[in-house]
Amino acid sequence: MTGVSGKRAVVGVGTSRSANVFAAVGNRLMTKVLLIEDDSETAEEITAELADRGFEVEWSANGIDGLDKARSSRPDAMIVDRLLPGMDGLTVIEALRKDQVRTPVLVLSALGAVDDRVRGLRMGGDDYLTKPFALVELIARVEALLRRPAESRETTLRAGQLELDLIKRTAKRGDRVIDLLPREFRLLEYMVQRSDQLLTRAMLLEEVWNYKFVPTTNLVDVHMGRLRHKVDGPGEVPMIHNVRGAGFILRAGP
Amino acid sequence: MRQPQFIRSSTFHWTLAVAGVFAVFVITLFGFIYWKVDDYLITRSDRMISSQLDFIAGLPGEQQLSAINQNLKQDSRGVQHAGLFGADGRRIAGNMERIPPELRLNDIVHNVSVTRMLPTGRDARVIRAIARTMPNGNTLVIGREVDETREISHVVGQALALGLLPALCLCLLAGALLSMRAQKRVEEVNKRVQRIIAGDLSERLPHRNADEPFSKLAVIVNGMLDEMETMIHALAGVGNDIAHDLRTPLTRARLALERGRTNATTVEQLQTVADKAIASIDQSLAIITALLRLAEIENSRRSAAFGSVPLHAMLREVCDLYEPIAENKKVDLRAKVKYNLNVLGDRDLLFEAVANLVDNAIKFTPEGGRVGIELESGDKKTIVRITDTGPGISEQEREAVLRRFYRSDKIRSTPGVGLGLNLVAAIVKLHGFRLAIHSGPGGRMEIICPGRQSG
Repeated sequence: MTGVSGKRAVVGVGTSRSANVFAAVGNRLMTKVLLIEDDSETAEEITAELADRGFEVEWSANGIDGLDKARSSRPDAMIVDRLLPGMDGLTVIEALRKDQVRTPVLVLSALGAVDDRVRGLRMGGDDYLTKPFALVELIARVEALLRRPAESRETTLRAGQLELDLIKRTAKRGDRVIDLLPREFRLLEYMVQRSDQLLTRAMLLEEVWNYKFVPTTNLVDVHMGRLRHKVDGPGEVPMIHNVRGAGFILRAGP
Repeated sequence: MRQPQFIRSSTFHWTLAVAGVFAVFVITLFGFIYWKVDDYLITRSDRMISSQLDFIAGLPGEQQLSAINQNLKQDSRGVQHAGLFGADGRRIAGNMERIPPELRLNDIVHNVSVTRMLPTGRDARVIRAIARTMPNGNTLVIGREVDETREISHVVGQALALGLLPALCLCLLAGALLSMRAQKRVEEVNKRVQRIIAGDLSERLPHRNADEPFSKLAVIVNGMLDEMETMIHALAGVGNDIAHDLRTPLTRARLALERGRTNATTVEQLQTVADKAIASIDQSLAIITALLRLAEIENSRRSAAFGSVPLHAMLREVCDLYEPIAENKKVDLRAKVKYNLNVLGDRDLLFEAVANLVDNAIKFTPEGGRVGIELESGDKKTIVRITDTGPGISEQEREAVLRRFYRSDKIRSTPGVGLGLNLVAAIVKLHGFRLAIHSGPGGRMEIICPGRQSG
């Protein structure tokens, strides 16, 4: 579990770069996020955190009102609680999807049922987060939803000096060939597709290893340590960064 | 006025109803017997008098008189009536004063009321009689009193009184006794149950060893109470464990915050303190999450969403995921997967189960050791085997580890939530598989998936 307050990720790491990552999103014409959550305290925390990141947040405390707002104000992303008064969160999503509204939705739930996640995703949710969650985790996932890599036919991926050949499954940093194991290549591919984006351990486990439950061991850190060793050679500017208590970022820029 | 309790009991009401039905039945039976016997006696007596009439009427004139007298003389009980009357109705012989007015001279036996001349005086009663007018103009009348009927009704009445009344009384008494006994036992059970409700879980219901429904029921309930007592004790133990495990990180968080609040002078110091507190709280949350997941899996049913899980691919993925960790610990992790085998199940849960076993195996294997993941196809079963060169699980512990809620001290003292094996057991059970834990030296855990597998 990587639960830490999101603010700390910024202040604690204290680099101007990490602030830039989020500012970059903020500068694009104010991204609008609709939050449908009935617990006002939770909603307040989430709203404040999102506002700090430069998002414009609209909050709705029940499903019916939330659905109205989703239809009228056309948000860029939505965070929907699973259990809501008036109308169930999943019903809201279903109704929107029926209207051909494709806004990415992150489903929040206190229910931990094994099938619940599957149902949430099947009903049209794009990602799923179980309560209690860390605010960094939430922000990282919202960011990921907003910047989902477009389906591309490119056979080469690039991020800064890194170049990945998706056909030959080879990687180069500048002229240096990086010798990667298949699992390391998969991890790097995922990170390059989402460069300059905070990736939490849970996200990596789910997406790269298809592992739905966070194990107690520091699995991701060990894998990341090995990958970093190969990607960031001696004397090179590090590209893979550990954001303490939050996750990892692959920085493309200098 | 308060009735005694047994009168209100259903047992007693049932006894009353049965006694009533019994009485009606007996009275009907006696009535039937009375009617049948009566009928038989009358038929017999009718036949007798008509044959007497035939006999006397067949005699020549003067012999008739002596035959009538003879007949009457032989009748010691005085039930016989006979009379010979002239054509003018004058009495010639016999003990009848005159021809009874309602007597029909038609040669058929029927009821007639007569007056008899006896030494003690005149006596009127209803008899069965037959009369015939003979060719000489005289009328012969033969009659007989059927007073046996009255006697029989008397006997029947006596028998009824003698049999039915005591039987009814006995019924009521038995009903009252049975209902009182049942009442007493219910009260006894109620007393014990009240004690159990009050929290005395060691209390049991009283029962005799007899093969009687009440005792059988008590034995069943006692069995249930035994089971519940064990479970509640186990739960209480788990509750204590959880409380203890939660208190440790929470205490750490509290101490860190308390000390930080007093001592921290810079933002950095405060952040360090907050980091510590958050890490501790995360650990508590991890314990709660693990417990909730455990309960959730234990309470789930075989899902309809189960699909075909390629075990060969899954085991290679687990191996792939844990290889770097094993390498860091200088443990040789290897997947020996020769065949492609599929089982029906939930891929994510099975992955978690195997990952947990591998995680544990790596944790307990010392540097330079080996951990193996094997997939084997046996006789109508598929086996996933995780072996290691660690200390393994001792024979005593092997039993305990499979018991519900058991947590090994060895597991608890290592970092992590310590519910891993319980989770594995729950997942395996949910799939209808079996978890075999082999005792040391060296760890050997097997997930045995029975049934036909597609290759």
